[in-house]
Amino acid sequence: MSTATTPARFTRELREICGAGYVIEDPARLEQAQVLGMTPAVAVEPASVEEVAAVLFFANVQGLSVVPAGGFTQQQAGNIPSAIDVLLYTTRLTGVEHYDPGDLTIGIGAGWTIAQLSSKVGADGLLFAGDAPIPERATVGGLLATGMTGPLRHGYGGLRDYCIGIKFVTGDGRKGKGGGRVVKNVAGFDLMKLLIGSQGTLAIITGASFKLFPAPRQTSTFVAGFATAAEAIQYRDSVLRSPLSPICLELVSPQAGALLPGAGRVGKAWSVCLRAAGSDAVLARYRTELGAAVSLEIDGHNERELWRAIEDFSNTLPERNPGSVLISLSLPLADVTPVLNELESVAASNHLTYAAIGTVGVGRLLVGLWPVAGERTNLGAAVSTFRERLPRDASATILHCPEELRRQVAAWAKTPTDFDSIKAVKHALDAKDILNRGRFLF
Amino acid sequence: MNLPGVVDDLRKIVGRDAVLDRPEDLMLYEYDGGVRKSTPGAVVFPTNTQQVSEIMRLASTNHIPVVGRGAGTGLSGGAISQAGGLVIAFSRMNRILEVDVENARAVVQPGVVNLQLSEHVSHLGLYFAPDPSSQKACTIGGNVAENSGGPHTLLHGVTVNHVTGVEVVLPSGEIVHFGGKAAESYGYDLTGFFVGSEGTVGIATAITVKLLRKAEQVATLLAVFESVDDAARTVSAITAVGITPAALEMLDGWTLRTIEAFCHAGFPLDAGAVLLIELEGLREAVEEQAVAVSEVCMRQKAREVRRAKTEDERALLWKGRKMAFAALGRVSPSYYTQDGVVPRSKIPGVLQHIGEVAKKYDLIIGNVFHAGDGNLHPLILFDMRNAEQYEMVLAASRDILQYCIDVGGSITGEHGVGMEKRDMMRQLFSDEELDVMISLRNAFNGDEVLNPEKMLPMPRMCREIMGASQNAVLAQEGM
Repeated sequence: MSTATTPARFTRELREICGAGYVIEDPARLEQAQVLGMTPAVAVEPASVEEVAAVLFFANVQGLSVVPAGGFTQQQAGNIPSAIDVLLYTTRLTGVEHYDPGDLTIGIGAGWTIAQLSSKVGADGLLFAGDAPIPERATVGGLLATGMTGPLRHGYGGLRDYCIGIKFVTGDGRKGKGGGRVVKNVAGFDLMKLLIGSQGTLAIITGASFKLFPAPRQTSTFVAGFATAAEAIQYRDSVLRSPLSPICLELVSPQAGALLPGAGRVGKAWSVCLRAAGSDAVLARYRTELGAAVSLEIDGHNERELWRAIEDFSNTLPERNPGSVLISLSLPLADVTPVLNELESVAASNHLTYAAIGTVGVGRLLVGLWPVAGERTNLGAAVSTFRERLPRDASATILHCPEELRRQVAAWAKTPTDFDSIKAVKHALDAKDILNRGRFLF
Repeated sequence: MNLPGVVDDLRKIVGRDAVLDRPEDLMLYEYDGGVRKSTPGAVVFPTNTQQVSEIMRLASTNHIPVVGRGAGTGLSGGAISQAGGLVIAFSRMNRILEVDVENARAVVQPGVVNLQLSEHVSHLGLYFAPDPSSQKACTIGGNVAENSGGPHTLLHGVTVNHVTGVEVVLPSGEIVHFGGKAAESYGYDLTGFFVGSEGTVGIATAITVKLLRKAEQVATLLAVFESVDDAARTVSAITAVGITPAALEMLDGWTLRTIEAFCHAGFPLDAGAVLLIELEGLREAVEEQAVAVSEVCMRQKAREVRRAKTEDERALLWKGRKMAFAALGRVSPSYYTQDGVVPRSKIPGVLQHIGEVAKKYDLIIGNVFHAGDGNLHPLILFDMRNAEQYEMVLAASRDILQYCIDVGGSITGEHGVGMEKRDMMRQLFSDEELDVMISLRNAFNGDEVLNPEKMLPMPRMCREIMGASQNAVLAQEGM
């Protein structure tokens, strides 16, 4: 694919900012840092907020296009960038700004991996609730920029609920900050909300503070099987109306179940997997309330393995089916069943197989579509049809798309939020459009 | 700015009886729950979004500053107009537009009173979680503007955690939508950005909020301590055993005696401090937590831990807590409420500091606050007629907030920055960080028609600094 060339004088400047050892020009290494088939002209690894600001300020003056990168777990999402003059790794931003387990908060650099963060706070009996796919590689900065969440989203809220402070450098090279390190804080604009899920198009996130939670001392997972999606969603509704407050509540379609390791445990039907935390008495109450629909209860190693597989699903599906399109949806609760019905109908009329998995108690759904073996089909058109039929308040993004469809299927097609306002915000922080150019909505 | 000249145009939009411009009528709108005052030039009462849009267009064209106003219960001057400006009051936009049980959402107009929404959906087993002490009067539009909290935000979060969509009228008069009924919407989270923007981005005309299901079991405990210090240390001791109460409030001895004299909530008169602790959830979990929390309190030298046995007892304890401000009104002509926040572990230190500040400035300062999330409300008593004392109050207040900042906290946890803390934003944010916020505000409200001179301080050196370094680079590049 295309490779941009960065003039030597630019590279010289970048070396002065980051140090010669942290400017990557080796073609083989740059090849490995491809984003959607596009090879960066140069990559930099700044070690501080000041260095990030200097790189962006310089890039802004020169009009260079910059793509931020962390652990490369979500770089297959979005449209093909229009150019990558500079790939900026945040992986060396690994400071700890504050951490006192008694405060149940931590402030850290964007380069921390989720696994490192979880392990650090786990040692003090605390939980970081951002259970991103591939936590060994996924970074805090990437998690925030992509707004990815996992099954714990059900019980602990989303990033927007527990990210309490954020530091960043705007596309025009200004160092910005929102919030702070206390759990309650309304001083100034809530820039945490603005940057979470902004796909690296407004600013490069350099660090963040999070609310932490006491880690559950005991959990158990209950699996209930159903013949249809509608019945599974009815079961979800009965759980949501009950006094129970599980930490995870996940819907798994038959095809999605088949892709999970230990698939036999989940069964071939539509499943609802519910994870509860609490004492023996609390778990006994779950058993009583959940009733006969539960066909399986697991804990310990099997339980951890199942949830890890669910967390990693957005990675597993494209690995197993490189020809698949993976769509992430956020829906009002009552729209989940109609959207699943629509998915089934689009799949059936286009010779496609589909898998669906999701934190349906909060309206999150991941949907994979791929051609039935040996059938000729127009997957791109099917995806477009599916998206056109989504209800009003739904939003959808494409997390993975086979290479041949990338130019045919726009990655970000639907949001209920006013587009001109989105553009106004982009202009305020990155007027020259240097960050992730062409990758997102514009 | 020529407000008198457009009053007739305003009447054409909303009707003759929906515009106030006589001085005696305007006096009611010159203050909020804080200490600042400013008289608007007119107050207009729209009944629908279209009217708000036409009002905004008229105001923008004529450069008339505009502020939205709900019940005026705010404590930071957020709803106070510039002198001679226009107030859009939302008392006639007070309808609950939709209750969507399946999606656990309600869509409300901004003038709906906070508690009314919870009462309206109570028969469905649902409620709206943010519960400011003023919830009997304050409006959801105001809650959105200030990102209001309340005692139960410890478990459930502040207003922004409960808003998924807003219909907004921009200064241009354009009506736009951010988000909807889904928990999150892709694209930028402008809903989250809008909540807490203190009326400086746009005016919300319809708000989509989450409705939560009422908990099966609630336990309300009153832990009585001999000293403020023991109570303060108990706060992080409770979270250290892995329990997050729904609410964890602290009242010091002086404050609870003042409340008790006012409304007989059942607080012990001889205590140094009490913690009001509420646990909610599954029956089995709540019962276990109630035992564990009581044990922690006793280990931290509580004299006793009482549990409300009936719903009436529980309501009485909360009445005592929520009437704190009213009770103070009886013993002092004026009081000033601060809203600083500290990390939980710093609560003992900050309370000690507040005691020292009271001595230093010779003031009475009571403490009633959301201890669980470190959100203080020191109540400083004074007499507004005593100008010298008023200055002392402001100095004491700055002193306390500076301490909060120094230990890693914030100047406001739920009341907003508004007018009074605007200059202290510079202690929390650098000029460059404020410049980023200003450019975002200007993206929507560049002429500062909406709520001018609130929240964000005037830019200082920042533009000159940026300009200088930019020029240096340009020169270096030979451009």
